[in-house]
Amino acid sequence: MEAMGTPTVSLINKGFINDAQSAASSRGWPSLRFVAESVPSECSVMEEIDAALEAVMDEIVAGLTRPLSSDESVPQPRESKSPSRIVFKGGLQEVNRFFYKRGWGDGLPLIPPTEEAVAEMLTGTDLPRDHLVAKLIPRLGKATVEQIAVNAVMAGALPTYMPILVAAVQALADAASNFTAWEVSTGSWAPFWVVSGPIREDLTINSGSGALSPGDIANATIGRAMGLIVKNVGGARKGMEDMGTFGNPAKYSMVLAENEEDSPWEPLHVSQGLAASDNAITVSFPNCYWTLWPTGTDDTALLRTIADGLTPSGAGQTWTNVLLLPSHARTLADKGWSKQALVDFVNDHAKPGVGKDFVSATDGKGDVRVIVCGGPGSWIVLTKGGRGLTKRIELPAHWDKLVAKYKNVVPTYARY
Amino acid sequence: MQEKAYEVLSPWAEADPIPLNGISPRIPDLAGRKIGLFASSKPAAPRMMTILEEKMRQRFPSSEISRYNAEEGFIILQTVGKYKECFEEWVKSVDVIAAAVGD
Repeated sequence: MEAMGTPTVSLINKGFINDAQSAASSRGWPSLRFVAESVPSECSVMEEIDAALEAVMDEIVAGLTRPLSSDESVPQPRESKSPSRIVFKGGLQEVNRFFYKRGWGDGLPLIPPTEEAVAEMLTGTDLPRDHLVAKLIPRLGKATVEQIAVNAVMAGALPTYMPILVAAVQALADAASNFTAWEVSTGSWAPFWVVSGPIREDLTINSGSGALSPGDIANATIGRAMGLIVKNVGGARKGMEDMGTFGNPAKYSMVLAENEEDSPWEPLHVSQGLAASDNAITVSFPNCYWTLWPTGTDDTALLRTIADGLTPSGAGQTWTNVLLLPSHARTLADKGWSKQALVDFVNDHAKPGVGKDFVSATDGKGDVRVIVCGGPGSWIVLTKGGRGLTKRIELPAHWDKLVAKYKNVVPTYARY
Repeated sequence: MQEKAYEVLSPWAEADPIPLNGISPRIPDLAGRKIGLFASSKPAAPRMMTILEEKMRQRFPSSEISRYNAEEGFIILQTVGKYKECFEEWVKSVDVIAAAVGD
């Protein structure tokens, strides 16, 4: 509206002012005028709206009539044109404090991204360090290979994870992922990364017992690195641009591999059109995670549990991941259920919602993925959230040598 | 023993500079002018504009009020595709705009 020459003032809930200002600046409008109001989000109580707007009426009028300052007429850049590549020198704790105070961390200790550590991380890819993989929203920060490597070092990742991180950045930058909505939404959607293909074994990515719990370096640091990349490259910072109302612990890391060896069905990436020999990463954006206990392990009990778990959802919760144990998958397969038949079953049993504010448990268009994983036990997990996509992972020429170098980085638990 | 010093690289990515735009000159008074009220498709936005319309009419009885309620999305979606022509025509038809997202 300002671009068309019409003086405009935007009414923004006071909790979203930083978000609004970052959004305006990243689009070249750093001096847009906002009025911070206190109308509760999504408010349906007219008396509350009335009181909140009455409190800012003078500001609204002033926003449309007060003469412009020189900076509003000709805004100046807020960030340095050529930021320093080396930003600090100090001890381990000093580096951590420096990064934390700059807002570049995630609250956990970070590995210092020295030239040496970043150089080692870069051995994980054939791509040149200045190669631009993508520009990440909302700030359109440049996700160069080096910038990915710096954040990967900080997360404690191994160089062998670089091909996955590059593919993961490509996935987020793909408009089809709709990451622009999921990453900053009040709905607190978190990226859920599933790795498929032979690379799972190369990197010892857990697909079994406790795959989504802490304790495996690949599962933990791939997601953590992506969280740092989203924050430090894309510029989506909690409470500033990432406006997740309650937040989501999965934003630390939610990564697993599919147990392709024990699955009776084709792997996830093959379902998405890739070859079995390909490596791939699939991302979706759930904001809820339900662990269901089936009343039996026969096919009828398993299917009934899934169907009963598909409750109608609020906006956005249309993509469903069904996490099935290998034993349950085998039971269903032995009864003639293909993976596609199970997807169709899920869609058929998605209950329609009541009223316009609720949607079906799936959108009925195949937004369902079946992932075989998990350890001993008898549980089923459903995750629900934002639409996802699959990207092929490209490996460097010296992959086998690289894998051999880091293959032994696995925990060994002593018995007691 | 002296602690090892680490010289560290910045994790904060560069971004290409983009042209910065100044905002439009304001008008000295809203009296007698055409005031536009934009509401996004979020449920609270049109409610807010209904209340704001009442308040503007009380404060500026000689002014004309014009509403635009987005059928879907926020402001940017109105500038492309099927909404573009109608939205641009509306923006140009008013002297000032107060916009509500609903958050």
